[in-house]
Amino acid sequence: MPCERKPMRYGHSEGHTEVCFDDSGNFIVTCGNDGDVRIWETLDDEDPRFITVGEKAYSLTLKKGKLVTASSNNTVQIHTFPGGEPDGILTRFTTHATHVTFNSSGSKVAAGSSDFLVKVVEVSDSSQQKTLRGHEGPVLSVTFDPNGDFLASASCDGSVIVWNIEEQAQMIRWPLLQKTNDFSNAKSLCRLAWQPRTAKLLAVPVFTKVYLYERGSWDHVSTLSDDLMTEPINVAAWSPCGNFLAAATVGGFITVWDIESKLCLERQKHEKGFTVCSLAWHPSGTQIAYTDIEGCLGLLDGFSASISKITMPKVNAEKAERCYEDLFEDVDDPVTDEGWDDDNSPTKKAISGVNENEYEDDSFVKPANGWAKNRGAILDDENSLDSGSQMLDQHNFGDNDPDSAVVTTSPLPATLRPVYEVPQKTAPQKAFQPGSTPIHLTHRFMMWNSVGTVRGYSDEQDNAIDVEFHDSAVHHTMHLTNLLGHTMTDVSVEAVVLACPSTDELASKIHCLHFSSWDTNKEWMIDLPNGEDARALCLGRGWAALATSTLMVRLFTIGGVQKEIFSLPGAVVCMAGHGEQLLIVYHRGKGFDGEQALGVQLLQLGRKWRQIISGEPLPISYKSYLCWLGFTDEGTPCYVDSEGVVRMLNRSLGFTWTPICNTREACKSKSDHYWVVGVHENPQQLRCIPCKGSRYPPTLPRPAVAILPFKLPFCQTTTEKGHLEEQFWRSVLFHNHYSFLSSCGYEIDEVGQSQSEKEHQEVLMKMFALSCKMEREFRCVELAELMTQNVVSLAIQYASRSRHMALAQRLSEIALEKASQIYSEQEEETEHSDIRRTLSGYDQIEHKENYHHRQTLEDKPDQEFEKDEDQEEMASQDGLEAPKSSKGGRSNPFKVLSLGKSSPVSCQLRMGNILDKMTSSRKSAPLSASVRKSNKSPIFKPLPTQAKTKAQSTLLQMTDKKAVIKKARENNEARDDQSKQADLSSALSQTEKSETKRYGLSKQKVQLVM
Amino acid sequence: MDPSEVEFLAEKELVKIVPNFNLDKLYLIGGDLGPFNAGLPLDVPVWLALNLKQRQKCRIVPPDWMDVEKLEEIRELERKAAAFTPVPSPYYMELTKLLLNHASDNIPKADEIRTLVKDIWDTRIAKLRLSADSFVSQQEAHAKLDNLTLMEINTIRGFLLGSLNCMYKLRSNLQPGSSKGQYGDF
Repeated sequence: MPCERKPMRYGHSEGHTEVCFDDSGNFIVTCGNDGDVRIWETLDDEDPRFITVGEKAYSLTLKKGKLVTASSNNTVQIHTFPGGEPDGILTRFTTHATHVTFNSSGSKVAAGSSDFLVKVVEVSDSSQQKTLRGHEGPVLSVTFDPNGDFLASASCDGSVIVWNIEEQAQMIRWPLLQKTNDFSNAKSLCRLAWQPRTAKLLAVPVFTKVYLYERGSWDHVSTLSDDLMTEPINVAAWSPCGNFLAAATVGGFITVWDIESKLCLERQKHEKGFTVCSLAWHPSGTQIAYTDIEGCLGLLDGFSASISKITMPKVNAEKAERCYEDLFEDVDDPVTDEGWDDDNSPTKKAISGVNENEYEDDSFVKPANGWAKNRGAILDDENSLDSGSQMLDQHNFGDNDPDSAVVTTSPLPATLRPVYEVPQKTAPQKAFQPGSTPIHLTHRFMMWNSVGTVRGYSDEQDNAIDVEFHDSAVHHTMHLTNLLGHTMTDVSVEAVVLACPSTDELASKIHCLHFSSWDTNKEWMIDLPNGEDARALCLGRGWAALATSTLMVRLFTIGGVQKEIFSLPGAVVCMAGHGEQLLIVYHRGKGFDGEQALGVQLLQLGRKWRQIISGEPLPISYKSYLCWLGFTDEGTPCYVDSEGVVRMLNRSLGFTWTPICNTREACKSKSDHYWVVGVHENPQQLRCIPCKGSRYPPTLPRPAVAILPFKLPFCQTTTEKGHLEEQFWRSVLFHNHYSFLSSCGYEIDEVGQSQSEKEHQEVLMKMFALSCKMEREFRCVELAELMTQNVVSLAIQYASRSRHMALAQRLSEIALEKASQIYSEQEEETEHSDIRRTLSGYDQIEHKENYHHRQTLEDKPDQEFEKDEDQEEMASQDGLEAPKSSKGGRSNPFKVLSLGKSSPVSCQLRMGNILDKMTSSRKSAPLSASVRKSNKSPIFKPLPTQAKTKAQSTLLQMTDKKAVIKKARENNEARDDQSKQADLSSALSQTEKSETKRYGLSKQKVQLVM
Repeated sequence: MDPSEVEFLAEKELVKIVPNFNLDKLYLIGGDLGPFNAGLPLDVPVWLALNLKQRQKCRIVPPDWMDVEKLEEIRELERKAAAFTPVPSPYYMELTKLLLNHASDNIPKADEIRTLVKDIWDTRIAKLRLSADSFVSQQEAHAKLDNLTLMEINTIRGFLLGSLNCMYKLRSNLQPGSSKGQYGDF
């Protein structure tokens, strides 16, 4: 039966920590490396009280209102509990004490220290000390015999010693452990534990097993182990009843054994797998508190339930078994305990306190061999403790068949109970409002989104809700008294909507404050039918959605009209709304082994209902749950799981989810978290609140929003290539919303769109340049496939400049392909409008182009070389423009890049533009120039015209179409040139700008030289 | 240079605010500011922060060092050390005064902070006086003081320079002047 593992709490700074419960079990008390002892009322205690006991606290023990701690000033001190007043110093060592513990009555304290000594001190009179000498290394742990005679201690010298306290003598010494030189270096803390009540067994953690030694005989009677425990066991702790032993490993495994059957009842793993360094049972035996070396406190709850469930059937089974055996074997008459004691029978101590789930162990009985002296004491003790023994006899439970009672010393293999091998169901995560902190907090954020914050206060005197808008222009701050006990809320620029669960008398309600309404009624409230509870709530533009416990989603208009109702396939987890989109996450089924099985639906509301995502599984990190769900401000669905991974819907990739950020990577400490409050695509911002040591921010002091950048989890982002790839795909991903918004009919920011388009072409070009530099030509071609046609031509230019002729050749093919693609697209488009006109238009453009080309060739023969090398279409424009500016803009960046090494040369070259062109072209390919002149120009020729068709045809069509036909060719030319020039110079200036950014430095230098 | 001028310089320091309005980038001579997103913290110069605060357009987030614990630490350090210790901000006094006067509602434990900063200031000024005293009494020609802020220099400059001048005059009058006086007598 699984017990509930509560989430870890940050308790102390990193380092060794210890935990214990107070006698009543009301408080969890921890100490840690920061020297504080914290007193937690519950695990959720927001502000635990603390007592500072020193610079560091190594160990603590608590009994009868006295808190004994070992601190770094080499003392063992007493504080009152829960007052926290210093109450004197018990003892001192030459170094710090490593472990302190009370005896069962609370009269003595034992302390082990790094100076090899163990001291036993009377609490009432600290002058009464007994020093136990014999360890040859720092003492790791000490434990009292519950009867007060003995004391066991483990040490770094590898020995475990049982001492007779009165005589200060060693009873027995086992060399069990690995030797180390210091407490801090020890593989295992080897926290020994003596079985309470019966005091019969001493548990010694030895590597991956727990050895059980019998009191008196000091024989190794049994070993507890678990296949899953592969790392050294750090701590062992008996349950208060003495029937169960919990042990925790260095690897964070916590296992609970039933001592009688030696079966593993419970296995838990620390949520992060950190070393558990302390375990404590609640006095009622229902909880185990544990702390790890990172200073966190955890709790396993619900043992009573699980243990009783386990033991009850077993009792019955055993009963049955015994009855069965009774039938076949001649069983001695049951005898009283006293009788057995008198008999001093070694094999018979069958005592099974059945009531209260208590078992007195009877499975480790061994033949007596020379321990009669101690045995008397033990048995006496048992009698005094065993209230159940009498009853047992009455009930005839006593069993004196040695075979059945004594399960021999070998432990039963845990595999006998296959119940635990089945994958365990995960508790389905509860419904929540994204952007809210947990309901149990008295001061909580009920909502924090991009519009505003809603804070809820629910202490004794005040039960109120504060709604505050980030932008005070939306609405002023509202203060509402929360009479109905609303627990859910959402806020948009139009309204605040609240919902409360049903109570005994009142139905569940949805309550809307429609503050943007233009009439005087700014509020409405609707009761849900009986037996239906609101679970999740969200607002969109003009509507509100409410998911209920009856697996239903109800839609309302913002004014209070009930609209569509539909059913969900599973219990809702949370919902989010944006514009006309509704995003619902629900439980698709039962998850196993810590996994949640979530499904997601994305609906497009409004006039045309559409289900965009219909119940696909929602991918979340392994063993995590959903933490936040929402839309980016631009309307792309996003969510965050408990591992801190932010994922965003990629509409262009078949509605898949792409991880865009891992907030945990930004955390400094493991217990820190980022609480996400909003995602923005433009600018790329993840708005979140850093929470130190918790998952949620407190309401006071007001948390400040921080911004995290997005980072797609690409490989090798530290290299330039990986970095550029990540940048490219991120810019592509965050560009998606433009097409979505325009498809929704929203007005989009065209400047922003073109800018982001430009940005990712720029990144592509950088990647291209990088792979070109690394001589990865195939990769270059692959990259070119991703480029737009204009950029491909730049790429060709670059390739030819850097003397990758084969590459340039291939690129030109790609360019041609792209051009024809565009051409065909264009054709399709224009066919719809007017075929005749366009065709003539195209003809004309081409003619003009050629004509113009010829003309420029004649005019400026000195530019021939350049034209050959570069693209003709550009050259033609350059011819008319002031040659200096245009050429500088176009060629400079690449030259700097390609000839970057020979900077003085390039600087000189740049001084005269025409000269520069000529020399460079001659240098680069005097031969190929001529070859290409004949060879490539036909390939290039169609390219420019088509390149322009996309950009210019619209322009031309608009301005020129009719005029072109009518007017004389000469006239047209002038105008065309102008328009073309305008177009291209703008394109150029764009690229130029981007280039200058990149090569700004070198360019500046150049200018200086000039 | 009078204190108000130093304060004017301090107003150029950046401080974090959380605006409650949306506004595009502001293009100012001193640099671009913004864009302002409601609820999203950003850094602006103190003069703008105070202006917005007075119009209730923002909430000021106190700088990191404006925290009781940190200031107490600094105070202790300042008291223990013989020399001047580095201060959290070159304009700590001015900023404290400006922010506490105009935005004390946004700063937790404003009164304690005011006292603490005053304590630090007093300690430092006392040290400054002491060192000026020893400088004068030992008749040193020059002295070097690290970690002084502009405001602190400014408070002592007028008096120190004036008195040094005065003393110089007195001294120079004393030796050659005495003979001069004798000449005069003749």
